[in-house]
Amino acid sequence: MSFCLETYLQQSDDYQILLSRAGFKDCAKIIQENAREIVFIKPGEKILGARIIGIPPIPIGINEEKGTIIIPYTKPCYGTAAVELPVELEEIEKIKAVATS
Amino acid sequence: MKKALILLGCPESPSQTPLAVYAAYKLKKKGFEVTIAGTPSAMKLMDISDPEEHYLTCKIDIDSCLGDLGEGSYDLLLGFAHKDAAVSYFVTFYHILQVPSIAMVFEKDPQLLEEFEKQVQESTGAKIVSARAYHNPTPLRVKLDRAIEEMVI
Repeated sequence: MSFCLETYLQQSDDYQILLSRAGFKDCAKIIQENAREIVFIKPGEKILGARIIGIPPIPIGINEEKGTIIIPYTKPCYGTAAVELPVELEEIEKIKAVATS
Repeated sequence: MKKALILLGCPESPSQTPLAVYAAYKLKKKGFEVTIAGTPSAMKLMDISDPEEHYLTCKIDIDSCLGDLGEGSYDLLLGFAHKDAAVSYFVTFYHILQVPSIAMVFEKDPQLLEEFEKQVQESTGAKIVSARAYHNPTPLRVKLDRAIEEMVI
């Protein structure tokens, strides 16, 4: 069974919401301000099995030391949130492999 | 048969549902098999608007649709970009599908309207149908007719 980001966010408490119910631009700014390392991906790339929604280039924050990433998370009626969540190092490698810069 | 995808956003704007039913009608008349992707609440409005499914035969949840989407899964994308999240969804669907697309951009606030238009224009090659609208779908319908005629043979 594939990983479901929405279910994970509902059932876990080890993530941090940096901004919620915001516009994509504001979340992109927060991600860039709070991340130790930034990579950019194309709209629709999959992270943790979920397609990332947004306006290109989409920033993804990476903190390898903490083992976390910061992603924009968009829902049609709730806008966009910037969420920091723990991931395996393998997932960080996958993100870097699809990064455009 | 050619396939068109109509992408709905949040159903909060009253113009979305009648315009989506109208767009499905127009595209069906042009020979498209039309699929509508939207949230459960947007779909409920569509179900009640077309109870005998004259125009809305294929319906799919927006997130399921996104998960399975690939380049060229449809031949035409028509999406509603009337909120910040809807613009993000439209741009994402556009980049995955890579097919001729129409963005229906509308807002009652002229600054937001300009911002949404700019984001779609800078991020996609979609034809933009835009109007300062909220309750009244007529200006958008007129422009949509023209856009479909220009894009679809």
